[in-house]
Amino acid sequence: MSEYVIDIDSLTKIYQTGKTDFKALNTVTLKIRKGDFVAIMGPSGSGKSTLMNIIGCLDRPTSGTVIIDGENISIVSDNELAEIRGRKIGFIFQKFNLIPTMTALKNIALPMVFLGGTTADRDRRAAELLGKVGLTNWATHRPSELSGGQQQRIAIARALSNNPSIILADEPTGNLDTKTGEQIMGLLVALNKEGKTILLVTHAIALKRFANRVINMLDGEVSEKS
Amino acid sequence: MIKDIFVMGLEAMKSYKIRTFLTLIGVIIGVASVIMVTTAGGSVSSFIADQWNVFNPTGMVIGTGTGGATPQLSIRSVVFTTNDVEKIQNLPSVKTVAPLGVVPLNKILKRDGFLKWESRPGEIMYASTPALLEILNLNLEEGTMFEEGKNEVVISKNVAEVFGKDKPLHVGDTIYLRRVDSKTLEAKVVGILKESSTANMFNALSTPGIICPTKPYYSSYFGSNVGTILKRVVGYTVLLAEATDTKHVQDAQDQILKYLDSGGSDANQYKDQNSDFVVITQQYILVRIEQVLSVIRTYITAIALISLLIGAIGIANIMFATVTERTREIGTMMAIGAKRRDILQLFLYQSTIIGLLGGLFGCMIGASGSWFVVDLLNKNIQNLGGALSTGTIQLTYAPEWFLIASVVGILIGVAAGVLPARKAAKMDPVVALRYE
Ligand SMILES: Nc1ncnc2c1ncn2[C@@H]1O[C@H](COP(=O)(O)OP(=O)(O)OP(=O)(O)O)[C@@H](O)[C@H]1O
Ligand SMILES: [Mg+2]
Repeated sequence: MSEYVIDIDSLTKIYQTGKTDFKALNTVTLKIRKGDFVAIMGPSGSGKSTLMNIIGCLDRPTSGTVIIDGENISIVSDNELAEIRGRKIGFIFQKFNLIPTMTALKNIALPMVFLGGTTADRDRRAAELLGKVGLTNWATHRPSELSGGQQQRIAIARALSNNPSIILADEPTGNLDTKTGEQIMGLLVALNKEGKTILLVTHAIALKRFANRVINMLDGEVSEKS
Repeated sequence: MIKDIFVMGLEAMKSYKIRTFLTLIGVIIGVASVIMVTTAGGSVSSFIADQWNVFNPTGMVIGTGTGGATPQLSIRSVVFTTNDVEKIQNLPSVKTVAPLGVVPLNKILKRDGFLKWESRPGEIMYASTPALLEILNLNLEEGTMFEEGKNEVVISKNVAEVFGKDKPLHVGDTIYLRRVDSKTLEAKVVGILKESSTANMFNALSTPGIICPTKPYYSSYFGSNVGTILKRVVGYTVLLAEATDTKHVQDAQDQILKYLDSGGSDANQYKDQNSDFVVITQQYILVRIEQVLSVIRTYITAIALISLLIGAIGIANIMFATVTERTREIGTMMAIGAKRRDILQLFLYQSTIIGLLGGLFGCMIGASGSWFVVDLLNKNIQNLGGALSTGTIQLTYAPEWFLIASVVGILIGVAAGVLPARKAAKMDPVVALRYE
C-alpha cells in the first residue's frame, strides 16, 4: 500500500451533456496523506464536488487512476464501490441529508445497517456517537425537530458510524450561521486530531485556517500553493 | 440486514400514513371483491345446484319440441299413448316411466253434512301412475299412494289447506273435483305429500298440487284424446322416466328417442311433422344451469379482477411518486453505503407490505361482506320466486380463495413495486444527491 490514503493520477472526468462533452476534471493529479486536513476552494463550477464525488466512490473517473485506501475504484463493481463507500468514506453534506422519517439515532445507525451486524450493537454505537456530538438527549427526535446545527452534528455522527478513514465534507457550513459553522468546524478538527483524513470543500476563506493543506480548483484543474 | 431494511420500509410507510392507507384501500377493495364474488357467488351457485341435485339424478322428461344440441320442450301437443308408456317401460336402460296428464280444475268442493266449501278456481291436477312419486323423488307425509282406477287422490300441503288453515283436509276425507268441462268427480284423499324444498323438472312445469290416477280422472277428459274420430285413444303431452342408474342416463335417453322416432311408436304417428321428440334429463338441466352460473361467475370475477388490477396500479402509482419524492434520500443512502439491492428491497418491501396487508384485510372484509350478501339474499329469497322460493343459501367459503387472494395481494405488491423500485435502485447517486 502506498503512503497516500488518496492517490489520484491524471484523473479526467468528462460529462456528456447532449452532444457536447464537458470536462469537469482535467488530468488532476492529487495525493493526500493519511491524517491530512485538506481544504478545497474554488469558484462555483470549478469541479470541487465532482472531485469529491469521485473520491467518495459515488462516481467513476472517465480516465486516470483513483486509489482510495488501496482500492482502485475504476476496476471494482458497483456493489464493491458501495461497500468501499460504506466502510472507508464518511459523507457530510451541505444540506445535512438526514432521512426525515428516521429518528436521530436511526439516522446515525443507518450506514451500519448496510454493512450488517445486530440492531443492538448498532444502536449502542449510534448512542455513543450521539454523545460524541453532544446530542444524547435528542436520540428519538426526527430531523424536522432539530436545528440546522443539530442536524449537521447528527450527520457527522452518521459519517463516523462505520469508522471510515476519510471524511468528505462538501460545504458543511454552507447552510449554517457563522457561529454554528465554527462549532461544526470544531468537531471536524477534533476528528482530524483522532487521525481521520478530512477533505473540506468551502467557499469561506475564513475556514482555510483549519486545514493543513489548501487546494485551489479552477476549470477542472487543481493547483496548490505550499 | 433484510429485516432491518424491512423495518425501514415499515417505518417509512408509518410516516406516510394517509398515503399508505389510501393505497391500501385500493388493494383491500380489489381483494375483498374477489372474495365476495367467489364466496357469495359460489354459495349461491351451489345452492342452486343443490336445489336441483336433490331431485332424482337419473330422471328425465320426454316430450315434443325442438331437438338438437340444445333441446327445448315446447309441450302441449298430446302424442304419447299408453302403448308408448308400456314400450318405453320395457326398454333395457329405463327403470320406470310414468305418464303425465294435465287435468285443469274449476273448483275443489267439500261437503260436511249441510256445510259446503268451495275452493277458488285455478287448481291444476296431474294425472299419473304411482311410479311418479319415485321418479320425482316425492314422499308422502301421511297416508298411501292412490291405486289406479280408483277414485283416490294425493294432495300437497297447500291443497290440504285450500279451504283455510283452520279447516285442513285429512287423509280419508272425500272431496269433489269439478273439471273445466264441468264434470264433477268424487275423490278420496288417500295421501298428503311431504313438503319438498327442492326444485325439479316437475316444479319447473308447475307445483304438484293434486296427483290423481289417469283412470278415471284423465281418461274421461276429452282434452286427453288423440287420433282420428274413428279411433280416439288417451294420450299424454309429457312422460316422465328414470334410468336404471346414473351411468345409463344417456343410454336410456338414446333408447327412448330411438323407439319414439321409429315407425313402431304411436307418438311418431300423432306428432306434428315440424316438431321433434325431446328428452331432457336432469343431468342436462344441471349442466345447463352450471353453464349459466359459470358465465355469470366468470363475468363478476372479471370485474373483481379489474378492481384488483386498479389496486395494483394504485400501488405502482404511489410507489413511483414516493421514489421520485425520495430521490435525494436514495442518493444519500447510496452515499452512506447502500447497495442497489438494498434500495430495491426497501421499496419492494413497502409495496409488498401494502399488497400483503391489502390481501389480509381484503380477505377479512370480503369474508364478512359475503356473509352480509348471503344474509341479504336469504332474507329476500322469497322474492326471487320460482325454483328458488324455498330453502336457504349456505355460506360456503372457498378456502383456496383466501390463499389465492393473499398470494395475489403479495404478488400485486411485488409486481406493482418492481418498476418503481428498479427506478430507485438504478439511480445515479450523484444525480440523485443533487435532486431538489
Ligand atoms: N452530472 C453532471 N452532468 C453534466 N454536467 C455536470 C454534472 N455534474 C457536474 N457537472 C458540471 O461540472 C461542472 C463542475 O461541477 P461541480 O458540481 O463539480 O462544481 P462545484 O465546483 O462543486 O461548484 P459549486 O461550488 O457551485 O458547488 C459544472 O459546470 C457542472 O455543470
Ligand atoms: Mg459543489
